[in-house]
Amino acid sequence: MSSISHILPSWVLTHGPALLVVLPLLMAVLVALLPSKNTGAEKIAWMAVLSTAIICAFIAFGILGQVVSHGPVKYAMGGWEPPIGIGYYIDALSAPILLLITLIAVLCTLYALPSVVAEIEPKKRSPFYAAFLVSFAGLLGMVATGDAFNVFVFLEVSSLSTYVLVAMGASRDRRALTSAYKYLMMGSIGATFFVIGIGFLYMQTGTLNMMDIARILQDVGPDSRVVKLAFVFIVVGLGLKLAMFPLHTWLPGAYAYAPSFVTAFLAATATKAALYLLLRFGFTVFDPSWTFISKFFMYLLAGAGILGMLIASLQAIFQNDIRRVLAFSSVAQVGYMLLGIGMTTTLGLTAGYLHMLNHAMMKGALFLAVGAFWYRFGITQVSDMRGLGKTMPLTMAGFTIAGLSLIGVPGTAGFVSKLALVRAAAENGWWWAVGVIVVTSILAIIYIGRLIEQAYFQPAPKQGAATVAKNEAPMIMLIPLWILALSALVFGIDAEWTTGLAEAAAHVLEGGPILNTPPLSGGH
Amino acid sequence: MAKKPNKHPQGLTKKQAKERTEAHPLAVPFLWLGNEKVIKNFIFVPLFGAILFSVLGFFYPLHHPAPWDFFASYTLIGFVAYSFVVLCAWPLFKLLARDENYYGEGGDD
Amino acid sequence: MINFLMSFSPSFILIFAGVLAAFIPSYPGRKGLMIGAPTLALVLLNMIYLQAGASGTNEFIGGYFNVAGIELTTLRIDPLSWVWGNIFAFAGILNGIFALHEKCKITDTSALIYTGAGIGAVFAGDLITLFMFWELLALSSVFIVWRGGKESYPAGMRYLAMHVLSGVLLLAGALIYGKETGTYAFNHIGIDAPGGKLLLLAFGIKAGFPLLHNWIQDAYPKSSVTGTVILSVFTTKLAIYALARGFAGTEMLIYIGGVMTVFPVFFAVLENDLRKVLSYSLNNQLGFMVAGIGIGSSLALNGVAAHVVVDILFKGLLFMSMGAVLHRVGTAKASELGGLFRTMPLTTLFCLIGAGSISAFPMMGGFISKSMIIAAMFEEHHYVVFAMLLFASAGVLEHSGIKVPYFAFFSHDSGKRPQEAPWNMLLAMGIAAFFCLYLAFPWGGYQVLYNLLPHEVAGEAAFSPYTADHVIFQMQLLMGAMFAFTLLKRFGLYPPERRAQILDFDWTYRRLGLNIVKWIDAMWGRLGAQIKMLFGKMFGGIGRRLYQVFSPAGAFSQDAPSGMAAVLTAGMLAAALLSVYFF
Repeated sequence: MSSISHILPSWVLTHGPALLVVLPLLMAVLVALLPSKNTGAEKIAWMAVLSTAIICAFIAFGILGQVVSHGPVKYAMGGWEPPIGIGYYIDALSAPILLLITLIAVLCTLYALPSVVAEIEPKKRSPFYAAFLVSFAGLLGMVATGDAFNVFVFLEVSSLSTYVLVAMGASRDRRALTSAYKYLMMGSIGATFFVIGIGFLYMQTGTLNMMDIARILQDVGPDSRVVKLAFVFIVVGLGLKLAMFPLHTWLPGAYAYAPSFVTAFLAATATKAALYLLLRFGFTVFDPSWTFISKFFMYLLAGAGILGMLIASLQAIFQNDIRRVLAFSSVAQVGYMLLGIGMTTTLGLTAGYLHMLNHAMMKGALFLAVGAFWYRFGITQVSDMRGLGKTMPLTMAGFTIAGLSLIGVPGTAGFVSKLALVRAAAENGWWWAVGVIVVTSILAIIYIGRLIEQAYFQPAPKQGAATVAKNEAPMIMLIPLWILALSALVFGIDAEWTTGLAEAAAHVLEGGPILNTPPLSGGH
Repeated sequence: MAKKPNKHPQGLTKKQAKERTEAHPLAVPFLWLGNEKVIKNFIFVPLFGAILFSVLGFFYPLHHPAPWDFFASYTLIGFVAYSFVVLCAWPLFKLLARDENYYGEGGDD
Repeated sequence: MINFLMSFSPSFILIFAGVLAAFIPSYPGRKGLMIGAPTLALVLLNMIYLQAGASGTNEFIGGYFNVAGIELTTLRIDPLSWVWGNIFAFAGILNGIFALHEKCKITDTSALIYTGAGIGAVFAGDLITLFMFWELLALSSVFIVWRGGKESYPAGMRYLAMHVLSGVLLLAGALIYGKETGTYAFNHIGIDAPGGKLLLLAFGIKAGFPLLHNWIQDAYPKSSVTGTVILSVFTTKLAIYALARGFAGTEMLIYIGGVMTVFPVFFAVLENDLRKVLSYSLNNQLGFMVAGIGIGSSLALNGVAAHVVVDILFKGLLFMSMGAVLHRVGTAKASELGGLFRTMPLTTLFCLIGAGSISAFPMMGGFISKSMIIAAMFEEHHYVVFAMLLFASAGVLEHSGIKVPYFAFFSHDSGKRPQEAPWNMLLAMGIAAFFCLYLAFPWGGYQVLYNLLPHEVAGEAAFSPYTADHVIFQMQLLMGAMFAFTLLKRFGLYPPERRAQILDFDWTYRRLGLNIVKWIDAMWGRLGAQIKMLFGKMFGGIGRRLYQVFSPAGAFSQDAPSGMAAVLTAGMLAAALLSVYFF
């Protein structure tokens, strides 16, 4: 990992946190300004997005290396020290998420070239890429920043552009508009709750820098009504964003009708970033050792997780649209993560965080494969999947690997994190949770098995007299799909690296509120 | 002991001849097993067997007899146990038998 | 190459071959895997064991994996698991031969994975590995059940439910055990260990303990011709292994085993479907093994291991012969069969050898092993269970020794003249029949069986089956019982075979439970209707609104923007606020 840091010039790393956010925003402006009538413009836009994503991925990699070897990275935006200026703070909790977002962005962008041509009207393509870059920047910003209000700004930046992205699915299916509208409504409610919570915090502490807030909260103590209100509003607001059951109702529609590439990107990153914020505020700004917070985690968060696992899994079984199956499955998987977090033990937090990383890989792969099915055959319904094992063998094989991982078959990443979760629950004495995990795994076998069964055990449909011919997805779509699917296998067999990252993140969370401010490392 | 009935290939009844042509070549020498007389007289095989081994048991007693053992007790255990099981089938069948499609899932094969 | 293959559990070879078979379009290629993979596994496991033996130990431990911080031991071959590994792999080969004629990808794939899971579970050195193979065993075998056609679907679901339950209990027990004792190693557990009762229950479901047994008779007879043969080998015998490993000498098992030997006897007489009769008979044989494990002396455990070996052979043989009948005639119901010996003489012969073996005629398979268990029972002075086992021995003769061959091949002539079984079925049956006879052969045969056993047959475990008194009194029992059969038959007291569904304990959940649920559902529906009316009267549109929200077509599942989501959000906020203030 350190070798990567050597490739990059030192100033890139020093200013890495800022670059991560500023570079995509700048590029977004440039891409938006490209003449839309010119047919070559979309290619240029695509290349701009791809190069931005790759550079950001390198930076994120370098930052992760720095965090692993030297501890948290701090950066003062524009050289103004917090609390006056905006401080960026990246530690073992946020660095893996940054890397995850950037890597997924690279893979999804590769995939986007043919997919966007098929799904978006020509004159909207450059703005589409621009909106994607804004959303990308927003996600990175909300993970990297150490300023509570800045979080809200980036949350809105990414959300607003995401609504646009979802709505652009309208040229493929008009229902994208209503879904985007619903997403907008719900997202705005979430953001409002969040900013109300931040407002309460500011009222109580008089600062917006997270570390300062944490320090002052320690003096205020757990009995302040304002603090409790702030906590509730922030958590419920973020709960909406991360699709915590029962606040998930926006998610299935948004995932089902957005353009394929947007769905894959969102499914793998957006809810993860929101979950990260929940961890950041719940554990390192507020003090998880306060009774009302620990009880809240144990009862409400784990409870919502369990309910989501069960109900959303059941709902997934009864869906006819493939992407809605996967979307409900996402809600269920968020439930697993919340269950792990709700335990608030080292093992539980590790398991929840690990499942977050693994889920991003497998759900990304699944949605990419579904997009490829649509690209070649216009498939959206489960019943249309019959014979795909023969007509698109490579795509379907990738889908199957990721699906097995989602079920939690031994040898896949999904198994590692589920086993970790089972162990954590057992260690906590939560036997009912062990039972629920096993039951929902069986439900996952059913809803994924349904899809796989259609593809492999049903004959391909006929076109006139002849069976539909083999028509594999283009290479540029297959490569990202297979990278994700294989990573779900690789991290299932050798989970040391991912487990290590998750353990480091859990270690941060266990440390409780981050109060002390070591010397800043950049921005002067 | 049941005696193998004398048969002359030429003197077969029509039914026997048909049975013979239908049978597997390896089964031809054993077709007498389906003979009514053989079936009827088969009862003597286990009867003589039981008597023979009961008598032998008198000369070669068990090395470790159970507390309840007496002469030919095993023959009696076998006989009584078997009869009990089979005779129980009558009331049990009345009690437990239902229509084949009782569970509404069709028969068992 | 060999060293590489010897570095992990042979079960992975079978599982890999199973996955491969799913993608091989060539039928001969798949069949090659079906026979080749178990053969390779058999060779490898013996090579590994011999290598360990050469270095002076009788235990090989290896195949370590580290998953999420738990070290898994996937390969532990010691005298106990070696017996099971050998017979499982051998049965895998026999099944492969028996299924040679069948062109079904799903059976081939799941049979290989199922066999692999069975062997993997036997070689599991820790409880977590055992759990993984335990669940794989259930999941791979349910597809074999479903090969039986439409009627087998609900039975397969019930089968799956039972086995998943067993797996969950195993996992829960394993985690409690691991947490309390600090080790997941799978050695003697005992009922008083933490989690011990859960583990015993998990094993008990798979072993067909009384009242937990219904899945055997429910699912096995409904599978396909080859499916039932494959199923009959692994699942229950694995449970016996797990009991022998973890619960040897648990007194409770003696009585459980005793009951298990007795009650299936009564059901087997009633049943018309001969494959179902054999499923009850399977249950009854498991009872002998469970009782033997309960005793736990080295003679008894030897008897159990020996009985597992020969039981897999003769029970497989019997299922194969009934499979051949089903394959040729299209039914295995006693009421539809009779007189088949005329055209299926070899099948008849093999079936008779199987029947003789299970009835423990001297010179045939079961004689040695059953005598060992009964003798061990006697030595420990458990006279009541000893008497139950004697009674059950007469019962075995009734359902498996007489009923199955008699009604299929002799009895009244049904007029059916099916062809002799295909050559591959005859070959598989012939091999099994040969070993049934060979492993009981007094001069050099049963000694081979002795060499397989986990404890040396000497000292405390010394046992010589062919003494005059053993042979004579066994023959007394059998002849007395056979005489009873002929006598009852002569006087028309033997019940005729009639088509019927015989109720067993599964009635409680297939009928009683279902009816209760239906009743509750109906009452609930009425209550719901009442409430809706009440709401309708009281609040006008509110009831309708609720319905719109919660029904499947309602707002809960819709995409259009609705107030519902906002209401939920507000509800969540209220719940969160309340919780925070109350804590």
